[in-house]
Amino acid sequence: MTPLQLFLQQLANALTLGAIYALTALGYTMVYGVIQLINFAHGEVFMAGAYVSLTVLLAAAASPALAGSPWWVLLIVCGAGAMAACAGLGVAIDRLGYRPIRQAPRLNALITAIGMSFFLQNALMVIYGAVDRQFPNPIPPVRWEAAGVTITLMQVIIWVAGGLCMIGLHLLVMSTKLGMAMRATAQDLKACALLGVPVDRIIAVTFVIGSALAALGGMLFGLNYGTINFHDGYLVGLKAFTAAVLGGIGNVPGAMIGGLVLGLLEGLGAGYLSAQWKNVFAFAILVILLLFKPTGLLGERVADRA
Amino acid sequence: MASRHRQSLHRCRALSAALLALAAGCGGHGEPVVKIGFAAPLTGDQAPHGQDLLNGARLAVEHANNEGPILPGHRLELLPLDDQRNPTQAVAAAKKLVADPDVVVVIGHLNSSCTMPASAIYHQARLLHITPVSSNPQISRQGFDTFYRTCATDDLQGPAAAMFVAGQLQAKRVFVLDDLTTYGRGLANEFVAKAKALSVDVLEHEGISQEDKDFMPLLTKIKAANPDLVFFAGMFPQGALLIKQRLDVGLSSRFMGGDGLFDPVLINLATPQAAEGVYLTKLGSDIRRIPTAQAFIREYEARFGPIGAYSAYAYEATRIAIWAVRRAATKERTAVLAAMKQLRDYPGLFGLQNFDEKGDSLIRDIGLVTVQGGRFVELGAYTMRDGQFVFVAAAAPP
Repeated sequence: MTPLQLFLQQLANALTLGAIYALTALGYTMVYGVIQLINFAHGEVFMAGAYVSLTVLLAAAASPALAGSPWWVLLIVCGAGAMAACAGLGVAIDRLGYRPIRQAPRLNALITAIGMSFFLQNALMVIYGAVDRQFPNPIPPVRWEAAGVTITLMQVIIWVAGGLCMIGLHLLVMSTKLGMAMRATAQDLKACALLGVPVDRIIAVTFVIGSALAALGGMLFGLNYGTINFHDGYLVGLKAFTAAVLGGIGNVPGAMIGGLVLGLLEGLGAGYLSAQWKNVFAFAILVILLLFKPTGLLGERVADRA
Repeated sequence: MASRHRQSLHRCRALSAALLALAAGCGGHGEPVVKIGFAAPLTGDQAPHGQDLLNGARLAVEHANNEGPILPGHRLELLPLDDQRNPTQAVAAAKKLVADPDVVVVIGHLNSSCTMPASAIYHQARLLHITPVSSNPQISRQGFDTFYRTCATDDLQGPAAAMFVAGQLQAKRVFVLDDLTTYGRGLANEFVAKAKALSVDVLEHEGISQEDKDFMPLLTKIKAANPDLVFFAGMFPQGALLIKQRLDVGLSSRFMGGDGLFDPVLINLATPQAAEGVYLTKLGSDIRRIPTAQAFIREYEARFGPIGAYSAYAYEATRIAIWAVRRAATKERTAVLAAMKQLRDYPGLFGLQNFDEKGDSLIRDIGLVTVQGGRFVELGAYTMRDGQFVFVAAAAPP
């Protein structure tokens, strides 16, 4: 393997991890953008997505209507089911947990978010059990090798799914009326309400989109690694939050870039330095970056908010 | 007035007598018990291993109860606790077991990192402690007379793996990984020392985190180093991910692991395609070829399904503990410990069991296994022959 081949292979690995982080980071950043809340329950929504997609996948594979259908049909059914379920979960979290205390000091909502995270994590444990669950993967194990670099179909699916979602979300936020309302709400919630923007509905839509993307991330995580556990969401949630901060929290393209950069930092740290130091390496870079650019890579508006 | 007072007093006495009777009835169902403490991971990623051990111990307790009361009028009970493969939880579980006066012996802890700190607590409480599978040799070197184990240790397993790599597999360059636990690091160090002595080139020795799931960057680095073989000392959840992901980066080196990988879940998680041709060492030779174990295997599989990697060791450890309690004929912990010291030639599943002065079983074969067609196939075992540790190939499948 030449150094260039090695680097390209590490890049492919890092992009895969980065895409999953980015999908999850979007939910953090969107919710922060509109209501300045760090939704710590988001990692659990990610995990719920993984569990629901597993349930749907097993049910679909066993149902007479879908048994024997091609793998991509199963995958679409499974993804749609998980995204719908988690969109509902996201709205429920907002409606029951955060909306009643929207006017209270921000710290109250933050503590509610931490409580919500504990509640959901334990609920997942009670529902699905504390033992690791195996996640069968219907995607055929296809691998391509070109110039010493190996790429799998699974990786390509993660890149494509992640890329499409990010482009779609960017278009939605930047060039639709709904997106305009979301951006306006992010700028000034009270003024929007005065001008007749249905802010509660806009916030609910934000939770729907963020949670659906996390569900997709959860499904891809389960498919890629083959096992899921109720507490896996904690670490991924923390990483995605880091990615959101890295990119500039509240900024949608920032979360995408932050996720990819964090994936790259971890991957290259593990690949060129040492696997056991990869988190240290990634977080050290984060600290250094925030020292020199406190708003993150693309963030501009944090200083006046924090 | 006075008579009414006396009447109510009577009523009061009658009521309190009834309450007392009720309270007595509630306490322990009237029958005294002797408890065998048990601790292993029953939740989390290693729960399948823990459950295999628990099933073995459960069967041993059932058999003992069928054979007659453990002590006159006493019923034998298993008290299983979950240590979540976490040393902190293991210590908490150990303290709980020590505090229960009905617990006269503890079977347990799967992971050496849990058995090590827990063994000190059992030692302090003079409580007999038998681990079925924790193989780190340091545990028995602490000099605790309460400690026994029914499996071989990693100062044999590591060298056996290195001898196989250098001899049978003819590998010249190896890359060593471990999971940074007491077990993984210990086994990897034993392997590295012997491999170097056999002039195998150890390219690098790296650790991974048990909380990690993405090993692609590390495996890519290994691919660039181009070793003949990757040796991993760790448990099956991470082992399976390494085995699976190594194909995804196009790493074609052979893969070998220790007994922590010996669980059919490994093949399912890694996919049979990726696991094909993986080698691993395990504690003990092929149980299906040991005549004295066959009745146990049949009964276990009828009850719980396919026998787990170490179910038989948990059964053996529990049966030996029961033997010691019966011999002591009392619930007193020091007496049980004294009885255990008298054990000679116990007719167990693996043959006649004896323990050395450190408490380690003298049955110390190290088995060698490979994966073929989605199943573990036993190749043979390293065993002591005239003071030499030699490989004895298995005969045709039974």
